[in-house]
Amino acid sequence: MTTGAATAPGGVRDAGFVSDNENYLKNSSGVLSWMFTLDHKRIGIMYLVGILTSFLGGGLLAMVIRYHLMAPGGATTISNDAYNQLFTLHGAIMVFLFIIPSIPAALGNFLVPVMLGAKDVAFPRLNLSSFYLWVGGAIFFVGALLMNGLDTGWTFYTPYSTSTDTSVVMATFGAFILGFSSIFTGLNFIVTINTMRPPGMTWFRMPLFLWATYATSIIQVLATPVLGITLLLLIAENVMHIGIFDPEFNGDPVTYQHFFWFYSHPAVYIMILPAFGIISELISVHSHKGIFGYRFIAYSSIALALLSFLVWGHHMFTSGMSSVTVVIFSALTFTVSVPSAIKVFNWVATMYKGAISLTTPMCYALAFLFLFTIGGLTGLFLGTISTDLHLHDTYFVVAHFHYVMMGGTVVSFVGGLFHWWPKMTGKMFNEAGGRISALIVFVGFNLTFLPQFLLGNQGMPRRYATYDPEFQWLHQLSSIGAFTLGIGLLVAGLVLLHSLYAGRQAPANPWGGATLEWHCTSPPPFYNFKHAPVVGDPYEFANVHYDEATDNYVFTELPRTLVPEEPVKTPTPAGGQS
Amino acid sequence: MFDGLFLRGSHLLADTAHHLWFPEQASTYAAESDGTYSMILWISLAFFIPLAILMVYFPIKYYQRKGGKATSRVTHHNVLEVTWTIVPCIFLVIMFVRGSWGYLDMATPPEGAKQVDLTAFKWGWSMNYGKGAIHPELHVVLNQPTKVVMRSTDVLHSFFIPAFRLKQDVVPGRYITAWFQATTPTPKVSQEEYEAALAAHEESGDEVWDYDRYQMTPDGYRYFDLFCAEYCGRDHSAMQSYVVVHETQESWDEWIRKISSRGETPLAEYGEKLYQLRNCIGCHSNEPNNILVGPTFHNLYGYERQMADGETVLADEQYIRESILDPKAKVVMGFQPQMPSFKGQLSDDDIASLIAYMKTLSDRGETASEAALDDDAAAADDADAAAAQPVEAIAN
Repeated sequence: MTTGAATAPGGVRDAGFVSDNENYLKNSSGVLSWMFTLDHKRIGIMYLVGILTSFLGGGLLAMVIRYHLMAPGGATTISNDAYNQLFTLHGAIMVFLFIIPSIPAALGNFLVPVMLGAKDVAFPRLNLSSFYLWVGGAIFFVGALLMNGLDTGWTFYTPYSTSTDTSVVMATFGAFILGFSSIFTGLNFIVTINTMRPPGMTWFRMPLFLWATYATSIIQVLATPVLGITLLLLIAENVMHIGIFDPEFNGDPVTYQHFFWFYSHPAVYIMILPAFGIISELISVHSHKGIFGYRFIAYSSIALALLSFLVWGHHMFTSGMSSVTVVIFSALTFTVSVPSAIKVFNWVATMYKGAISLTTPMCYALAFLFLFTIGGLTGLFLGTISTDLHLHDTYFVVAHFHYVMMGGTVVSFVGGLFHWWPKMTGKMFNEAGGRISALIVFVGFNLTFLPQFLLGNQGMPRRYATYDPEFQWLHQLSSIGAFTLGIGLLVAGLVLLHSLYAGRQAPANPWGGATLEWHCTSPPPFYNFKHAPVVGDPYEFANVHYDEATDNYVFTELPRTLVPEEPVKTPTPAGGQS
Repeated sequence: MFDGLFLRGSHLLADTAHHLWFPEQASTYAAESDGTYSMILWISLAFFIPLAILMVYFPIKYYQRKGGKATSRVTHHNVLEVTWTIVPCIFLVIMFVRGSWGYLDMATPPEGAKQVDLTAFKWGWSMNYGKGAIHPELHVVLNQPTKVVMRSTDVLHSFFIPAFRLKQDVVPGRYITAWFQATTPTPKVSQEEYEAALAAHEESGDEVWDYDRYQMTPDGYRYFDLFCAEYCGRDHSAMQSYVVVHETQESWDEWIRKISSRGETPLAEYGEKLYQLRNCIGCHSNEPNNILVGPTFHNLYGYERQMADGETVLADEQYIRESILDPKAKVVMGFQPQMPSFKGQLSDDDIASLIAYMKTLSDRGETASEAALDDDAAAADDADAAAAQPVEAIAN
C-alpha cells in the first residue's frame, strides 16, 4: 500500500453509490413516511426545512428594519409601535426558532449518529417528539404574531412585559415549549455520544464536531430548565400577579434579569459552540491536515460550557447591581474569552503547511475566522466595565453580537451546510456560485455591522425606531450592507436549490474528509452502516487520496507498523530517570 | 434617499459636537473611559492584524490543487499552545484592572454634590431641582459634581449621556443614584442666532421645539444629548432630553428662576407650555381625531365622559384636577389606567394653568363654568404664592 489510490484500485476503499431502495431519501415515500419517520436523517432534514423557513422570515424582517432606518424619522410609514414589533419578532424568531436549534438540531441530528457509525440516535422517538415540540413552539410564536403581536424585545424584560397589551403570555409559552425541544435534543445527544461510540473511538478520537455537540448538549440540559422556570414565573406574574418581577406587586425587575440571563448567557454558547465544531471540521478537512491542538480545542469546548454559567451578570452592568458584583462579573467574563482565543489560534495554525482547497465551505470557514475574531475582540470592550458603561445598550452591542451570532454561527452554519450538502442530498452544487455567495456575504456583512460599531461609539442607543440626524449616514451605510448581505444569502440559497435538480451526483467523499460520515455513501443508506465500523484518528489524512477520474477521495489502508518497531533493548528501570 | 450619506461632509462641519469616533469628552469620567477604550483597541489590533495576515497568507501560500498533500503532520505543540493561552491572559488582567479601577473610582458621589431628583416615565424625563423647579432638561454647573437620584414611575428606562460616557438603568421600585462632573460648558448661542431660531420656529408652526434642527434649547443654550437606552415601548426612541452645562452658578440660578414660576405669563399660555414641558403631549393630543395613549384634550373640558365602570362624569375643573393627581380614580372607557400621578410635581397654579389651557381647546370652555372664569382671576393673584409653595412639593 505505497502508491496513490488511483493507481492501486485493488486496495482502495470507496463506499460507491447507494441504491434507490436503500437511499434514506427514497426508501419510502409519501408525506406520512416523513411525518412518522424515526430516521434521524429525515428528522434532521425536516428540522432544516423548518429552521431555514424561520431564517428566511427573520431575515426579511431584518431587511424591513434596515430599510426603515434609512431616514432619521423612518424611511417607511411604519409606526413606532410596528417597528418595535418588527425588531422583537426579528430577535425572537432568530434566537428561539433559528439559531438555537440551527446547528444542533438540523446538522447535529443528521451527523451525530453517522459520525459515530451508529444506526440512529439513542432515543429515536424522543428525537421525533422534540421536532414536533419545535413545531408546536413555532406555532405559538406565529400565533402570538397574528393575534396581538409582541413588542417586548426578545428578552421579555419586566415590568414592560407584564404591562404591555401584546401577546406576551402566548409567546413565552411558545418559548417554554421550544425549551423542551432543546432539552430533549441535548439529552438524546448526551446519551448517544456516551453509549454508542464505535469500537476504537475513545473520547479523544471523537471528531471535534461531536465534542462541540456534547458540550452544547450539557448546556441545553442544565440551563434550559431555568428558562422554563423563568418563563413560567413570568406567565404567573402576568396572569396572577404573584409579585416576583413587577414592582407594582412588590416584585423586582432586576430579579427577572438575573433569571433570564442565567439561561440566556449559556444560551449564547448553545449558539456558538456547535459553530466551533463545524469550523474545526471544515478547516481541517479542506486543509487536508490534522487539526492542530486537538486536546486544547476539545477541552476549551468543555471549559466554555462550564464558564458560560458564571458570567451572566455582564449583561447587567448598568442595571443597578452593587459595585462589587459588577467587578466580580467583569473578572469572570474575561476568563471566558480565553478558550475562544485558543480555538482561533489553533484553527489558524491548522492551515500552516496544509494543502488548502478553496472550496465553498472553506471560503465560509475563512470568513468565519475573520468575523468571529472581530466579534470576540469587540467583546473585550463590553467586558471592561468603564467602557461598557458607555457602550451598553448601544449599536456597539448590536454589532458585537451580530459579529458573533451571525458572522460566527450563521456563517459557519452556511459553511457546514455546503460542506455536508452532498452527503445530505447526494448532489454536488455549483462551486463558483457558492464561492461568489461567500464573497458577497463577507463584504455585505462587514458593510452592515462595522458602521454600527461607530454608531455605538457615538452613543446611538439600540431599539430606536427614529434617531437623531447626525447618525444617518452610518445607518445608510449599514442598510446598504444589509441588502448586500441579503443578496449574498439569497445567492447561497439559490445555488443549493439549483443543485437539487441540476447537480451532479455526489461521490461518497467529495472533500477528502476522514471522519465516518465520509465512509458511507452520499446520501447514506437508511441504516447508515452495515456493521459498526472500527475507527482510528478522525484527522488522519495520510490514507485519503484524490481520484481524478471520479472527482472523489478514496481511502487506502494505512501502512501498519509494529509498535514498537524494534524491541527495546535496555528496559527503562521503573521510576528511573532518563 | 441617500442624502444623509452624501451630505455627510457638510453635516460634520455643521455639527462639530459629534465627532466621527466618539462624542466630545465632557465629563471627568470621559477621558478615562476613552483612554481605556483606546488601550483595548490597540491590544486588540496587536492580536487581530497578525491573525488577519495569516488568515489571508496561509490560504494563498498553502493553496494546492485537489489531490495535494499537506507538507506537515504536526498535530500539536505544547509550548506554543501554552504560550498563546497565557499571553492573552496577561492582557486580559490589565483590561480588567483598568476597567474596574475607572469604574470604582466613579462609584460613590463625592460629598456636597448638588442633587437633582430625576423621574423617568413613558416617555419623558422630569428633573426636579427642588422648590417647585421642575423641567425636562437637565441643567448643571460646570465642574460641579452633580448627583442624580433616579426613579421610574412605570417600566425600566436608562439614563444615558454619551458626552459624559455615563449610563445607568432606572429601575421602578428602587432609587438609583448616578453622578458626574461636567467639564465642558454648553454656552449660550449669540443673540442673532437665537432670534433666527425663534423666528424659524415661529414660522414652522411646530408645536414642540425642534432641538436637532436648531442645535439649541428653547432658551438658547447649546446642549448634550440625553437618551433613554433601555427599551421602554412605543416612543422609546423619542424619550430624549438635553443636558445644559452652565459656566457659572449665576447663570444656572437665573435659568432656575426663569422656569420655576409662571411670572406674568397668562394662565392658558403657561398651561400650553406645561403641556409640552411635562410631556402631557406624549399621551394626550390636542387635536380632534388624534387619539394617543390617553384621551385627546380637544373638547374634553365641559363634556360628559363615560368611565370604564359605566359611570358618567362631567369633565369640570375638579375632575381634571383629580385625573392629574390621582389618575386611576376615574378611567375613561376604552383606555388603560397607565398614567402616573403628578402629585407633588404640579403646583395648584400649574394645574390651574393646564385647566385654562384645556378650556381653550374646548368649544364649551367659555360657557360651561362661569365660576371657573372668576377662579382665573383669583388664581392669577395667587400665582406667585402658589409657585413658591406647590402642593406637597418636595418636602426635602
